[in-house]
Amino acid sequence: MTTMPATGVSGPRAPLPGLRTPATRLLNVIRLYAANPYTVLILPFIILLGILAVNVAIWVLINIAAGPQGMPQAERGLQYSGAGFYPFVYFLVVAVQAINITFSIALGYGTTRRNFYLGTAITFVLIAAVFAIAMGALGLVEQLTGGWWLGGHMFTSVYFGANWWTRLLVFFFGLLFALFTGSGFAAVWVRWKTTGLVIAFAVLAALVLGSVYLLTVSSSWSLVGAVFDGGPLAFTAWLLIPAGLSAVAGYFILRRATPRS
Amino acid sequence: MTAVVELRGLTKRFGKVTAVSDVSVSLEENRIYGLLGRNGAGKTTLMQLLTGQEFATSGEIRVFGESPVENARVLERVAFIKESQRYPDDFRVKHVLRAAPLFFPNWDESYARSLVGDFRVPLDRRMKKLSRGQLSAVGVIVGLAARAPLTFFDEPYLGLDAVARQTFYDRLLEDYSEHPRTIVLSTHLIDEVSNLLEHVVVIDEGRIVIDRDAEDLRGTAATVVGPRSAVDAFAAHRDVLHREGIGGLASVTIGDISDADRKAATAAGLELAPVSLQQLVIATTTDRTTTQQEDAR
Repeated sequence: MTTMPATGVSGPRAPLPGLRTPATRLLNVIRLYAANPYTVLILPFIILLGILAVNVAIWVLINIAAGPQGMPQAERGLQYSGAGFYPFVYFLVVAVQAINITFSIALGYGTTRRNFYLGTAITFVLIAAVFAIAMGALGLVEQLTGGWWLGGHMFTSVYFGANWWTRLLVFFFGLLFALFTGSGFAAVWVRWKTTGLVIAFAVLAALVLGSVYLLTVSSSWSLVGAVFDGGPLAFTAWLLIPAGLSAVAGYFILRRATPRS
Repeated sequence: MTAVVELRGLTKRFGKVTAVSDVSVSLEENRIYGLLGRNGAGKTTLMQLLTGQEFATSGEIRVFGESPVENARVLERVAFIKESQRYPDDFRVKHVLRAAPLFFPNWDESYARSLVGDFRVPLDRRMKKLSRGQLSAVGVIVGLAARAPLTFFDEPYLGLDAVARQTFYDRLLEDYSEHPRTIVLSTHLIDEVSNLLEHVVVIDEGRIVIDRDAEDLRGTAATVVGPRSAVDAFAAHRDVLHREGIGGLASVTIGDISDADRKAATAAGLELAPVSLQQLVIATTTDRTTTQQEDAR
């Protein structure tokens, strides 16, 4: 050990060479999520199929209750199924969970916050793609089998669009919305814990109420109507705006977060 | 000698609490450092600052010549094994051992496998279900197999049994001699590691109180024992770290004792005893007032 010179730390050295390429560093964050695919891949699939199973049971009951004559009318009602929305809610939770539990180990193993967040964002886009394709495929099966031979609608409910490619994009955009909204809240949680979330929700509520007030006093509700009138695809495309804002906010919030035990 | 870590005037405050206070230290390449101190002395915070996990309030940090904060090139050369490391909820031991190599470019997989055997860690068990000792063992395995040029072990052996602790010390020394690197061991089990340490940094209430070569440190401090009056006379103008007394007998620990001092003490009929590193740390980090209260009893 030498005493530090009075002038401060030693002068500039040649920049440190990187041992990994920037792309590898991002890829490694994705592989960290994949090290145990249970939380981000397997469990969501189990939940998705579980919801389908519950719906099948309900459709069987409806078929029995309605009888062959009543079924065509019952099926019109079944198109308005909201069951397909559960995966989106679940993925919001997945996003929060994934970031919360992975941040600590990623930083513990020397990942920068920046690489962690960017790697996480890529992971989320991949997850959204995988599940959009899976749900799109299940929708096709649902269509071809006449609603699982029961006239049921979960992946082909009217909310998701009329054909397979609309549904695919609606699922993809919807999942992106869920995951990136989740990542914003997750960043708030990781950095400020409960206090942060309480304040974040309060701010969000104020913003929503403020918008409602402004829309009302300016008689502009027709604008909101226009968003819904555009159909499912246009609506989910609009959702990408708040999702993007949440993702960007999450990045800046997480850049100053510290892992706490 | 190349400095791997250079700190100057480093301070970290959490609200009104100053966890690290004006620390200026440098760590050289390929040595084993002991970062010693009491619980809450600032050891973990200091290491978190060095690994870019905490942000400094003021002062300068250079690790491999650069700031570690958000610096991937620095951080991929550093392993920080901390006692409080959290793992993803569903992670099993095998998932940790699958994830760790991604982040440590020098990772040695076969060495990791052999360490798993040495420490008898169950690969299929969930991290949440591991005992305290097994959790520590996973940290030790990752920290050793990572072979990072700068490795921090923060209380690495909480809950490890005596056999596992000995295994850790043995493997650490073996691997260090084959693959020299800078290792910082933070601990309060001082006597057990004192033979491993080449340099000792003692931190107390956020300040560095000792920063010396371990060999020097062992040689310079001594405890002087004898009749109270003789001991007091001897200690009068010397650097007294610690003082104890029973009846007419007293003992003082002197921080810096020269050969002339030794002769003087022997001539005064006093006995000189070596001071263990642990005693020395206790002596330097015990509040003076408490010591005096103990004397009064």
